[in-house]
Amino acid sequence: MAFVNWLKRHLVVVAGLLTLGYLLLPNVVVTVFSFNKPKGRFNYEWQQFSTDAWKDPCGVADMCGSLSLSLQIAVWATLGATALGTMIAFALVRYRFRARGAVNSLIFLPMAMPEVVMAASLLTLFLNMGAQLGFWTILIAHIMFCLSFVVTAVKARVMSMDPRLEQAAQDLYAGPLQTFLRVTLPIAAPGIAAGALLAFALSFDDFIITNFNAGSTVTFPMFVWGSAQRGTPVQINVIGTTMFVVAVLLVLVSMALGNRRNRQKA
Amino acid sequence: MTTDNSGDVRLSGISKTYGSFTAVHPLDLTVPQGSFFALLGASGCGKTTTLRMIAGLEEPSSGTVHLGEQDVTHLPPYKRPVNTVFQSYALFPHLDIFENVAFGLRRRGVKSVKKQVEEMLELVQLGEQARKKPHQLSGGQQQRVAVARALINHPKVLLLDEPLGALDLKLRRQMQLELKRIQTEVGITFVHVTHDQEEAMTMADTVAVMNAGRVEQLGAPTDLYENPQTTFVANFLGTSNLIEAEVDSRSGEDVVLRAGGGKLTLPRARCSAQATTGGKVLVGVRPEKISLTHADDAGEIPDGRNRITGRIADSSFIGVSTQYVIDSPVCPEFEVYAQNIDRDPRLVPGTEVVLHWNPAHTFGLDAAQDIDAGVGTVGEEAA
Repeated sequence: MAFVNWLKRHLVVVAGLLTLGYLLLPNVVVTVFSFNKPKGRFNYEWQQFSTDAWKDPCGVADMCGSLSLSLQIAVWATLGATALGTMIAFALVRYRFRARGAVNSLIFLPMAMPEVVMAASLLTLFLNMGAQLGFWTILIAHIMFCLSFVVTAVKARVMSMDPRLEQAAQDLYAGPLQTFLRVTLPIAAPGIAAGALLAFALSFDDFIITNFNAGSTVTFPMFVWGSAQRGTPVQINVIGTTMFVVAVLLVLVSMALGNRRNRQKA
Repeated sequence: MTTDNSGDVRLSGISKTYGSFTAVHPLDLTVPQGSFFALLGASGCGKTTTLRMIAGLEEPSSGTVHLGEQDVTHLPPYKRPVNTVFQSYALFPHLDIFENVAFGLRRRGVKSVKKQVEEMLELVQLGEQARKKPHQLSGGQQQRVAVARALINHPKVLLLDEPLGALDLKLRRQMQLELKRIQTEVGITFVHVTHDQEEAMTMADTVAVMNAGRVEQLGAPTDLYENPQTTFVANFLGTSNLIEAEVDSRSGEDVVLRAGGGKLTLPRARCSAQATTGGKVLVGVRPEKISLTHADDAGEIPDGRNRITGRIADSSFIGVSTQYVIDSPVCPEFEVYAQNIDRDPRLVPGTEVVLHWNPAHTFGLDAAQDIDAGVGTVGEEAA
């Protein structure tokens, strides 16, 4: 009875912790198995503790090359999609033009379309155009599917912006460029940052569209997929764990910075 | 007297139309240098549009805007020597108070802003808050930041768009006096837009009452209150009792009118309508000018006063005064505000009374107007 009462009072916390565990368990497995010393080629059974893979993360042929390629593509795709997406978002919120409604709904299409279908259509398009498959086709494809996410994130922010703020800037001697740089952009920045992070994450681990349009180029997700069929090197777990830790650290640092700034001001 | 008129605002034939809707009808207005000018009206009367045309945030459909001798009609807002205090303040949320106030100086390339900003923050008593973000301040403090951010640029004209609308009553009274003090101190022309007639009368030297895109009447607050020219002004500024009356005769400086069974006297100088014998005029008198006497004591009322009979329909005690509603044959709801000096305990609802006032306090209006124009629009929130 006492336990039932305790559970009633803490139900939300318990449910939250269970959900968190559900989310994090795969990451824990990845991390644990990065310290494994597998027998044979597959890293699916726990054998014994070892830090060999951590000491030599690039010890697998071609893996670090594919990782660096993926990071490059992700950075460029993020820059391209964020720049274009921000401009589209501003245009959709601020201006009334012909076919604005159509653009507004069409921009969501890449989100809704099954990825395989989009990948195949893109390949058809590239082949018909006689394009050389590789870095550039991957980049073009990534910018394309990241765009809708950036537009959605930035649009929400721009829509909630008070137009009087820009009028106030103009009233205080800021010309159009100054108004944009000093007021519009900083206020829209959280939306733009959210869009950019989303774009980076999507581009970095995209497999389906990349696989169709890469030609003989191999990105990191393609490398993992390929090696999973022949045997999984422990280094893949090392890279996965590192990515996870870096992401968590980034979040923690930004939270700490935000907290400190607030405490200083208060 | 100074001859500097660089802070004059001169609007000539200025108008604004949106499609088929006319927000502001062609309008001529001159605001002299150094004055505190209020544009007063209900929401949607065109007062904010007029202000935004002075600021350059709206392009006029016709007419010109002059600041002093300079034609600024086609100058963008960032090139006009004018600053605005926006409704809801529009403080930059990503900048702290110091940077908000310094914004205008920095944009004009002023190098050392620290001293000026600190002095300005002292003037509005916010020196301690310089490094806070706007959302950490109270409404009254944000309002003062908005004023400081505009004033630091020493504009020729300061425009205020319902600057006190979001504050509670007590704070609003305090800020009214504060703004008035600042205006006297800096001597800049203030143009203030408000829907609150009390606010306009407390603060402004000159008030322009706007209605449906036109200026109904312009003048000093006392002048507007004592000598309204239209029923809208009479009803919008305070309360007026309006009676329909017929012109009976003229005697010297006065017009004699017939209303109900009795006669009323109206000084000719205070009648804005044509008073031709047999014609109709609206007779007005303010509720606080009227005295109430019990019908039994009617004989004690001195001669020469305008009088009306009636019965008390309702009375409410407000503290400083008692407000009576009188049911009279000439006017169904006659309002009387009596000071609580010598209260007659017999004056309770149902009592027969005589209302009387000095004829000099009577004003006459054109009877062709809507007698209820401007009633009930007071205190409405502006859009």
